[in-house]
Amino acid sequence: MKIEDLVLPVSFAVPGNEIGSSKLESAVSISTMGRQSEIKAIAGREEDPNPDSIDQSLDALENQLASISISSNPPSVTPEDEEEEVEDEKVEEPVERINFPNGSFTGESRGNEVEDEIEGKQIGGSSMAETSGAIKESSSLVWRNISEGEEAELPLSPSSSGYAGEMGSTSGGDEINDDDDGDENEIREVKNDGGVGSPGPFISGKRHPDEDDASISWRKRKKHFFILSHSGKPIFSRYGDEHKLAGFSATLQAIISFVENEGDRVKLVRAGKHQVIFLVKGPIYLVCISCTEERYESLRGQLELLYGQMILILTKSVNRCFEKNSKFDMTSLLGGTDTIFSSLIHSFSWNPATFLHAYSCLPLSYATRQAAGAILQDIAESGVLFALLMCRHKVISLVGAQKASLHPDDILLLSNFIMSSESFRTSESFTPICLPRYNSMAFLYAYVHYFDIDTYLILLTTSSDAFYHLKDCRIQVEGVLLKSNLLSEVQRSLAYGGMRIEDLSMEPTSSAGATSSHLGHPRSATDSPGRTTESFVGLGGPAGLWHFIYRSIYLDQYVSSEFSSPINSLRQQKRGYQKIYASMHDKEVGPHKTQFRRDENYVLLCWVTSDFELYGAFDPLADKALAIKICNRVCQWVKDVENEVFLLGASPFSW
Amino acid sequence: MGCSSSVPDKNTGRMEGLNAENGGSNDVNNLKVKLVLLGDSGVGKSCIVLRFVRGQFDPTSKVTVGASFLSQTIALQDSTTVKFEIWDTAGQERYAALAPLYYRGAAVAVVVYDITSPESFTKAQYWVKELQKHGSPDIVMALVGNKADLLEKREVPVQDGTCYAEKNGMFFIETSAKTADNINQLFEEIAKRLPRPSQ
Repeated sequence: MKIEDLVLPVSFAVPGNEIGSSKLESAVSISTMGRQSEIKAIAGREEDPNPDSIDQSLDALENQLASISISSNPPSVTPEDEEEEVEDEKVEEPVERINFPNGSFTGESRGNEVEDEIEGKQIGGSSMAETSGAIKESSSLVWRNISEGEEAELPLSPSSSGYAGEMGSTSGGDEINDDDDGDENEIREVKNDGGVGSPGPFISGKRHPDEDDASISWRKRKKHFFILSHSGKPIFSRYGDEHKLAGFSATLQAIISFVENEGDRVKLVRAGKHQVIFLVKGPIYLVCISCTEERYESLRGQLELLYGQMILILTKSVNRCFEKNSKFDMTSLLGGTDTIFSSLIHSFSWNPATFLHAYSCLPLSYATRQAAGAILQDIAESGVLFALLMCRHKVISLVGAQKASLHPDDILLLSNFIMSSESFRTSESFTPICLPRYNSMAFLYAYVHYFDIDTYLILLTTSSDAFYHLKDCRIQVEGVLLKSNLLSEVQRSLAYGGMRIEDLSMEPTSSAGATSSHLGHPRSATDSPGRTTESFVGLGGPAGLWHFIYRSIYLDQYVSSEFSSPINSLRQQKRGYQKIYASMHDKEVGPHKTQFRRDENYVLLCWVTSDFELYGAFDPLADKALAIKICNRVCQWVKDVENEVFLLGASPFSW
Repeated sequence: MGCSSSVPDKNTGRMEGLNAENGGSNDVNNLKVKLVLLGDSGVGKSCIVLRFVRGQFDPTSKVTVGASFLSQTIALQDSTTVKFEIWDTAGQERYAALAPLYYRGAAVAVVVYDITSPESFTKAQYWVKELQKHGSPDIVMALVGNKADLLEKREVPVQDGTCYAEKNGMFFIETSAKTADNINQLFEEIAKRLPRPSQ
């Protein structure tokens, strides 16, 4: 293959050029810690915009890419084949899209255009605004190389409704049976136990380890994640054997370091339907290659979490290994951790906590949760830094030592780490872990014990010799749990599930809005899921409400209704939430910001105040005024049951 | 060895805390001992422990994280009982530097290798040296060649194990956690070799 054949329909979004966007970003005041640091990073780059150098650097980058890609272009796949795959299966190999070997793109690849990164900005004050159309804007924020052919594939082409453009018809059936294998199972699980946000039976371990970048199956995967070192050594790959992907890793490294040498940083490369997202963390590079049409912000957030998971296992001091030896091979240090990363990546597709930066609690009666909190408080005073009682991914209660606060992302990463490591279930364990948001440089020691198959206790301490003390603490907790019957309460809550939209009352009479002002479940556990699936398919709750997520800003917790609605929209809906979340947090968000988006699959309504964020998914034909009314009622309902669905005032959250 | 800098800053000096009353102990007839299992990842340390403690064998490999703690009491013929407090450590490289946390003060160390893997035998020798340098001076050490049921895949001859164990004053046995072969014998033999508190 000749170099001239290799064409780059790519767009580069380099932070140095985002002069406008840095202002916008700075105006976002309510965001999480990570977001703020990102703002700083962008603002810091404001001084060296240097737009003149862009064309050069892009040209040079093209050359660089072209030369790199010769080796990584598998000879077996002809351009025609690839084109067919794109059309028929709507999936294709992500990688070589960077050097898409289709002559039709040649001409356009030089023209730098500007892309609107703040799509969907049309949130109108405190009023509801239909967002259809009006999405494509031309602001000079992001540089892009784009062809006409690509234009059609752009997520936000102005079609009948902005959302239709974004979700598109491509995100139909093929996504559901795609790589995130658990999804279909997940639906089944929802039917079984009604557990909201329950992960599907996750197949642990690396999948498809035999693949490499020459395998067609590997190239067809929709969403790749890579971790590599700054010298280009592979550290982790979601699919395929890291060692076989050494050449591919080197390619990614070359792209990153090339832009870095220009004094800039590459954030995003767009190639056809694929986005390549880069995140540089000192000597560690993280890359996501995706054609899932998720937003850049969402995907970068996922890379941040992936990095956090690595830090949880190794601490940031692993960087020193690279100072000593820049060619340091980190794979051996992460031996046996594939399942942890894979399960985190899987959770991106089902767990709202991964983008909400909030945790969720298992619904329990106020008294029960108080009892659990009291016993944890007792042991926290005996020198335990954090004590968490968890059920699967949900918090039963948690307590921190004075002045210590636990970030929701750390809870997510910690519970993922524990749930995905089978050995914790066999016996009590004592292991070093690092909480990236608490102190990314130092290890804490975690005592972990499972009381039953779902419920476990995590005790964190700074002292490496506290095992026997923590063991005693656990025995103390266990005694109380057995006496108070809490474990059976937990099992009952698991079986019942949480808030169900069909319980939201239609009559606007009661202030409670719900048939009962608490989550007492009059029906039997076995009865309800069946009832749900039979009578509510295609119906959902009142006024076409399918699902909602309510996030309390003050508590950093969220509650979501059970998924019991038209089930094939489940996956889309979650990605939809992710998108609407990203767009709401993209720009300045004051009190009473709202967004109302409609496409052929559903309506998403988002309402952000200084106290909470509410995301509601409705039937695509839902009436707007009615939907707003319903949202008000949902808020009231959540307030009415807040001491059951949230952990209130138990620990000093102080950020 | 591992990534030394990913270790909590050299706290290892004050890790005695993992030893219940200094290796455990002891009225004359009821011994309590701290036992640590060391060895490369995947040689079957957890399987040995689970076979011994629970009589189970789970062929799906579950990577140990940090270290698991289990205990089991056995009765000897002379009507004494020995309670083993077992630290089943993770074999991964990143935990190697943390091993002192678990083996310090241990009365017994069981170093395990896989008879089908010469690398794991080399690793076992590393652990023996490490224990000789940093373990308690009177530690009872056992060298265990596990996966003895995989005879046809054997790559470490019995005599290599015997020889090395003899040279280093260790007790040697080949076991199979899968078939339960020699598992109880291993722990009984260890119990017999424990120094008895003087009457």
